[in-house]
Amino acid sequence: MLLIAVSATLVVGCKKDAATVEEKITKIEVHLTGINGSTFNEEFSAEDPDADGVFNTIASIDIPMNTVFNVHVHVYDGTTALDSEIEEESNDHLFVYQVTGGNLVVGDLNLDAAGKPFGQDSKWTSAAASTGSVRIKLIHEPTDKGNTVDPGGSVDFDVTFPVKIQ
Amino acid sequence: MLNNKARLFGALVVSCCVSAGLQAQDCHQALRGYIFDAESKTPLAYASIFVKSLGRGAITDEHGYYSITDLCDSSEYVLELRHIECAHETHRVRLKENQELNFELRHNAVLHEVLITEKAVAPLPTQAESTVQQVDLAAAKGLGLGETLRKLPGVSLLNSGANVSKPVIQGLHSNRIAIVSDGVTLQSQQWGNDHAPEIDPFTADKITVVKGAAGVRYGVGAMGGAVILEPAALRTLPGLNGWVSVGGYSNGAGGVVSGAMDWRPARGNLAFRLQGTAKRSGNLRAPDYWLGNTAALELDFSALAGWKSAHWDHTISVSQYNQDYGILRSAHTGSLEDLRAAIAADTPRNNVNQFSYLLDRPMQRVRHSVLKYRSVYRINDVWKLRGQYSFQYNQRKEYDRGRNGLVSSGNAQISFQLWSNTLDLALEHLPIRHWEGGIGVQAMQQLNYVSRGGFIPDYLGWAGSVWMLERWRRYPMPLEFDIGLRYDYRWNHITTTGNGNNNLDKRLWFGNVSGVAGVLYHVAPKVQVKLNTGYAWRPPAVNELYARGVHQGAGTYEQGNAALQSEKAWNTNLSIDWDLPWLTTNLTLYRNQIQGFIYLNQPKDSIVTTVRGPYPAYFYQQDQVVIRGIDGNFSVKLGRHLSLESQVSLLRGYRLAKTSNQESAVHDWLPLMPADRYQYGIKWTFQEGEKAAQTPSFVRISGTSVLRQIRIPDAGLTKPAPAKYTVLTLDAGHTFNLGKHPLELGFSVQNLLNTRYRDYLNFFRFYADELGVNVGVRAKWRFGSTL
Repeated sequence: MLLIAVSATLVVGCKKDAATVEEKITKIEVHLTGINGSTFNEEFSAEDPDADGVFNTIASIDIPMNTVFNVHVHVYDGTTALDSEIEEESNDHLFVYQVTGGNLVVGDLNLDAAGKPFGQDSKWTSAAASTGSVRIKLIHEPTDKGNTVDPGGSVDFDVTFPVKIQ
Repeated sequence: MLNNKARLFGALVVSCCVSAGLQAQDCHQALRGYIFDAESKTPLAYASIFVKSLGRGAITDEHGYYSITDLCDSSEYVLELRHIECAHETHRVRLKENQELNFELRHNAVLHEVLITEKAVAPLPTQAESTVQQVDLAAAKGLGLGETLRKLPGVSLLNSGANVSKPVIQGLHSNRIAIVSDGVTLQSQQWGNDHAPEIDPFTADKITVVKGAAGVRYGVGAMGGAVILEPAALRTLPGLNGWVSVGGYSNGAGGVVSGAMDWRPARGNLAFRLQGTAKRSGNLRAPDYWLGNTAALELDFSALAGWKSAHWDHTISVSQYNQDYGILRSAHTGSLEDLRAAIAADTPRNNVNQFSYLLDRPMQRVRHSVLKYRSVYRINDVWKLRGQYSFQYNQRKEYDRGRNGLVSSGNAQISFQLWSNTLDLALEHLPIRHWEGGIGVQAMQQLNYVSRGGFIPDYLGWAGSVWMLERWRRYPMPLEFDIGLRYDYRWNHITTTGNGNNNLDKRLWFGNVSGVAGVLYHVAPKVQVKLNTGYAWRPPAVNELYARGVHQGAGTYEQGNAALQSEKAWNTNLSIDWDLPWLTTNLTLYRNQIQGFIYLNQPKDSIVTTVRGPYPAYFYQQDQVVIRGIDGNFSVKLGRHLSLESQVSLLRGYRLAKTSNQESAVHDWLPLMPADRYQYGIKWTFQEGEKAAQTPSFVRISGTSVLRQIRIPDAGLTKPAPAKYTVLTLDAGHTFNLGKHPLELGFSVQNLLNTRYRDYLNFFRFYADELGVNVGVRAKWRFGSTL
């Protein structure tokens, strides 16, 4: 009788319940398109293919001097783009940019549905040759959306790309 | 002639056998025990117990205790029990070695049947242990398992906020202690600091904490000790009885209702019990603010059926524990920067500072189901065969904050599922030449399935054990000892569904011996000295081997170490129990040396750049450590009504210097070890003597002082250890008869002065204060005849 009970539960005990919806950001792609006559069009990405939460590769953003770029940041979970979700909830998100060292200015953050900074699209302007870095953060549920430096909230991603202006 | 020879030979054989029999028969046995009033369960003083064949007997003392010495082993005696208020009863008993027999006498009852409540009293363990006092158990059940244990010396709590408490026994917790409820060792996701044991304390009638290496008795999980919960016995006579308990708590506007009903039909050998608990509380409050999103909801039930015959004793039970609880919103930090900001803030950041019963993300949903079948077969007066099969299914879902699209689906981010099948077989015996004990085998199969992103891998495990445990005592010799041995083998197949551990496919096995030996010496009738030494082990847990990723709640990046070896502990404890009419003392000194103690260590300034920014990186490593300390419990009676109570828990845990084997080298203290704690109280009891123990009416005011933990790792702490604190508790209880049945009332105020404090062993000390004042009222009503 014991053995029957054991074997019965051994069989029962194997149903896998996969009703979970864990989202992991595994790739951030910065797409720079030169304007005002520049034909520059390149994507630079930071990737975590094994999804352990640590970037395996972060590309160096190598861009020409004295150029203006339209920049869009794509966010992926594996091969699934999360852009549309983030855009839909633009009121609850803010992309924060912080440049260190290089002669680069980030501005013109696009606005959310409520007219406050959102920043998935921005305009980058490079000057003289230099090296430095740009730190990009995606903030979820910022407490102060008007503050594009320290808006509070929680961090969805925080990545620092090396920048080389040549 | 031939005939005569044969006769002579026959006579010789007979006389030889008789003398051998006489030699084997030990006539220095004692029969001891208590005589109770069958209805009120109070001990009966001055009842007489008389051995007819010997023409002598004894009278119970004021505690209802009797003792008759110089009886013979394995002989049958007829006992006559008398009390002035009761009908006399006659019992036929067959004496076994070191037996304690408790009898119950009934008032004015017409005796249609002779009742014998024979209770094989478990021998006193030689190992240090503490049992939760009945008054404390009654007062704290409504607050959860953690609260019921926290008064015991040597036991502290590891918290992740107020809703999640894990017992810590002499500095060890989680995978290093076993929680055993009605003979079933809880199998759940013990590795997680934020995973509390799935136990409803209302199912237990008695809770005991075994301290030190208890691996032989309770398996590899019990390296540092065990928490043992025992339910009340099923009815032995036909009838119906039960209880209903209700409680209300001001902090969190919480309420709890629990009840149980026992039934035994007039005919047959079956007995049943149904039990259930429902509990709800809203956001809890620290002295200065609400703790946003700390509501909780719990619904538990258990059902038990037993069937007993002369040789068989079958029990089948099912139980389920369901809990939903919120995690302090402020404890949800997205990055190291968030964490630093939260630590620096004096009041919680992003706090939802208002009362609510609503549960929001982050929250967890836990369900634990147990099915158990136990069968005991009495082979004869001495031997017993015991078999037990249990099935457990543990389900844990973690609902984190996230994008609305994600949240609106209503699904959890992470789910853990653990199936466990355990089979136990044991052959036990009552004293044979003063040895009592048994041998047994255990087999277990476990399957762990973790959803994507679950931080630990999946595994399939098989475990097998064989054990023996024997105990020697010979009344009235003052010395008793016990010895045990066990071998455990564990095999695991570890795979992953993708969490930074892609393509993990490992087969691992661990095996080791555990042992225990102890001596108990009765220095005087009420003074005992116990010395126990044990060797126990545990294999590294899957998270310690293969975790890799950001541990969101802790704000750390953790990396397992696949090269970890088994942890082995050698634990020695010395306890002294001294029970005088005016003074009760229990003192335990212990030393636990652990080889290959596994812990998380942060090499100086090691930072990992994660998707969410830089995080401090922690790595699992192992070292030789020593944990030693003193647990003390003192109670002094001042006069007939007043008593002083005091408990002390002191502990030192440190790494032995790696470079030398000398212990005298500078200690590097272990992280997360309980700080020194002193508890003291004054209690006024309204009744006297035994009546006070049976139906207590009392008022007590007690204080707990916890010092600042100054013994911290050299590398420092993420946030300095909190300052020392003292909190006061007031509690009172009164029992009176409502009609024919007793009604217990209780009143308590925790954190009487609404003191603001934080505790070193609470992970949420980073974010918020501990709970403020909490006024509780409770009532428990028993119905039916409690027999």
